[in-house]
Amino acid sequence: MQLQYGTAILAIGLVTVHLLMQGVLVPYGEAVSFQRVLSVYRDAVDGALLEVLLVVVLAHGFNGLRIILLEWRQSARWTRGVNWAVLLVTLVAISYGTRTVILAATGQVS
Amino acid sequence: MATNKRGVAGWLDPLHLNIERWAYVFQRVTGLAVLAYVLGHIGDTSFFVGGPFGEGPSPSSWSSDLSVTENAFGHVVLVMVVLVVVYHGINGIRLILSEYGMIFAKPSRPDYPYKAKSLRTVQKHLIWVAIIAAILAALYTGGTLFG
Repeated sequence: MQLQYGTAILAIGLVTVHLLMQGVLVPYGEAVSFQRVLSVYRDAVDGALLEVLLVVVLAHGFNGLRIILLEWRQSARWTRGVNWAVLLVTLVAISYGTRTVILAATGQVS
Repeated sequence: MATNKRGVAGWLDPLHLNIERWAYVFQRVTGLAVLAYVLGHIGDTSFFVGGPFGEGPSPSSWSSDLSVTENAFGHVVLVMVVLVVVYHGINGIRLILSEYGMIFAKPSRPDYPYKAKSLRTVQKHLIWVAIIAAILAALYTGGTLFG
C-alpha cells in the first residue's frame, strides 16, 4: 500500500495543478486552444509536469485496479498473473502517453 | 491487508450501516471511473499529435478531436469527472491519515449509546468535507463550461 499512498499524495498535487491550469487560472476555452496546448508541451517545466502526471496517475490507477483484482480472487497463480498483466498494461499506457508528450514537444507542426 | 473472504462481493453487503463503509465503496467505484476517464483522456489528447499514427502537432487533427469532445455531452462528462476526482482525492487524504491513526480518538470503554468514540472525530467530518467540496467543484465546473 506504500506505493498507493505515495502516488496518491503526488497525484493530489499534480491533479490540482492540472485542473487549475485547465479552467481556473487559464479560461477553459483558451486552455484547450491549439496554440496554448502547444506552448504548454514546449515549455520545459509544464511539459515535464504533464509527463510526471501521466506516470503518477497511471501507476496509482492501475495499482488500485490490481488491489481490487487481488481482493476479488485469492490464489498464488491469480496474483502472479494479475501482477504481470497490470504491469504490462501500465507500461503500454505510459508509453502511448509519453509518445504524445515527446511528439508534441519536438515534432514538426503540420 | 486484512483477509477479505468475500472479495469484491463484500462491497454489495446490504448491511453497510455506517458511512465509512459507504465511503469505501465510493472510493473504489470513483477510482475505477477515474481510471477509465484517464485512459480515454490519454487516447483523446493523442490527437493533438495526429492520433496513433500521427507524427507531430496537427491543428486539423486537434480541431476534429475538439469537435467530438466539446459539446454538451462532453461537458457533462467533464463535470462528473471533477465531481468524482475531488471526492476521491479528499476521501483519499482521510484514508491515508486514518491508516496512520492520526484522526482517530483513543479507544475507550463502550458506554451508552455504544457508538465507537474512536471514530467520532474529524475523520467522520472529512467524509462530508469530501462530498461537499466535490459538489461545489462540480458546480463551479458546470458554471465555467455552461455559464
